[in-house]
Amino acid sequence: MERFSDHNDLATALAEVRPAPRDAFADGLDERVAAGFPRRSRHAGSLLARLVTWARGLPPRRLLFAGGATAMAAIVLATVLIASSGPGASESPPSNGLLSQFTPLKSGDSSGAGAAPQGATPESSVLGRGGHSATVHSSESASGGEYSASNGSFEAGSLANVSRNRDIERSAEVSLLADPADISEDSAKVFAAVHDANGIVLHSTTGSGKGADARFELLIPSARLGDALAAFSSIDEVRSRHEATDDITRPTVSTEEELQDVQARVDGLLAQLSSSEVGSEREAIAAELRAERQHAARLRNQLARLHQRATYSRVLVRIESGNSTESDGAWGIGDAFHDAGHILGIAAGVTLVGLAVIAPLALLFLLAWLGQRLWLRSRRERALDT
Amino acid sequence: MSEAAVAEVESRRWGELDFERLYRSSRDDVYAYAAGLLRDRSAAEDVTATAFERAYRKRSRFDAGKGSARAWLFGIARNAALDELRRRGRQAELSADPVDATSLPDRNDQRSELRLLLDAALDKLEARERELIALKFFAGLSNGEIARVIGVSSSNVGTRLNRTMDKLREACDGAI
Repeated sequence: MERFSDHNDLATALAEVRPAPRDAFADGLDERVAAGFPRRSRHAGSLLARLVTWARGLPPRRLLFAGGATAMAAIVLATVLIASSGPGASESPPSNGLLSQFTPLKSGDSSGAGAAPQGATPESSVLGRGGHSATVHSSESASGGEYSASNGSFEAGSLANVSRNRDIERSAEVSLLADPADISEDSAKVFAAVHDANGIVLHSTTGSGKGADARFELLIPSARLGDALAAFSSIDEVRSRHEATDDITRPTVSTEEELQDVQARVDGLLAQLSSSEVGSEREAIAAELRAERQHAARLRNQLARLHQRATYSRVLVRIESGNSTESDGAWGIGDAFHDAGHILGIAAGVTLVGLAVIAPLALLFLLAWLGQRLWLRSRRERALDT
Repeated sequence: MSEAAVAEVESRRWGELDFERLYRSSRDDVYAYAAGLLRDRSAAEDVTATAFERAYRKRSRFDAGKGSARAWLFGIARNAALDELRRRGRQAELSADPVDATSLPDRNDQRSELRLLLDAALDKLEARERELIALKFFAGLSNGEIARVIGVSSSNVGTRLNRTMDKLREACDGAI
């Protein structure tokens, strides 16, 4: 016998036997809802518990907003801290092993600059036989003229110290800032300084009027480079100075050795030629002798060029007047752009570093959270099957 | 239109959850669902209270664009009920009479007989089947809402319900 003829009968019967809550339970729950579910846990009042509850109760969009605001605040704070720690931290000159050996001398101590390389110091001996290059940068503000005049000596002198017994090619670049009206006078001072140093002017251009500038490509005896740079720096306000060294000892020594070998072969061929009496053999030796002599001549030229590179330093002197208004001490729109770019750069750096640290952690956290959710869901579904 | 439906429409209109209204319209439904699934009045009360408390704490995370407030609430209630099942480590047994004895003044009454008959038949169902019956006939959810709560398609819900009703009818017939 069928108790329920169809699903509708069964559905009606089920509705009739629908469980209903006890009045006492319903009343108690009503009260808790009206009171906003007051917490009963003894840990409910702790700061951490409240923070976690607050965070879990936030809708995703507000949670994202809160997280974004916190990250932004952290970036701003780090940027302010880094920016206020001084520009020197981010503008220090490039450092290398050679530069780290320099010892600043007192102002005016330029005696080492003019000295020719003599004995190898312990510092220079560790450089090895290979080529080595170094650069020295400096930038001065409006008041840097006098400072540069003395520092130009100490840096060149320091470079001279490490170049003892080695062949060092040097180059330098000095940028001066001058009023347009002073360009001609400053140019004359440059020529005078070159003359005093027994230097050579390879090329020069000098302009006049507003925005005028001058440019000098010079060869200065390396032994007098320090004095010459000091003289250039004293002409006018130094805007920037750049010095570089390149150790050319290895090519010089190898060329010298090769030349000695070739010379020995030439001597040997001459001896063979004098003892040979057979006509065809003499011709062959003479041909070989010509080739070796040509080779020796090439090597001598090469060696002379290397010695000249070590003996004379290339110096570029520029006198500019274009941006003189920016260096009058007033903070202008150009400075504002520069500072803004600097701050944005720091902010971008902080963000990048922050992302590099946080992104892997966030990924791990996300994976762990997803895994925990999947595991919990699986456990719950299994509970229905047991 | 039922009270629950009115609450639903209004919550959608305002785009935010009127928790009090949702509670008033759904309290008995949530309890009926939990009791139907767990077959334990005491556990059903705990689950109901837990579900509403969780929903209250998370009420600001409700997103009307993702479904109805009732489906959201029953999702929470289902998790609470399954946690209870998991905690017990076994399928809910009739440790306490799911039918309120005080509501059965006369054992010979036809209505009481019907209750006992269905009660026995429901006990023979698997938990998954009993959950479907509880969601559909005790809590009054639509097939679409049930689909959202248990994570299957609406057509699948219809198929499963049909099969479960057949099984329940057979269980009732067998009990006579």
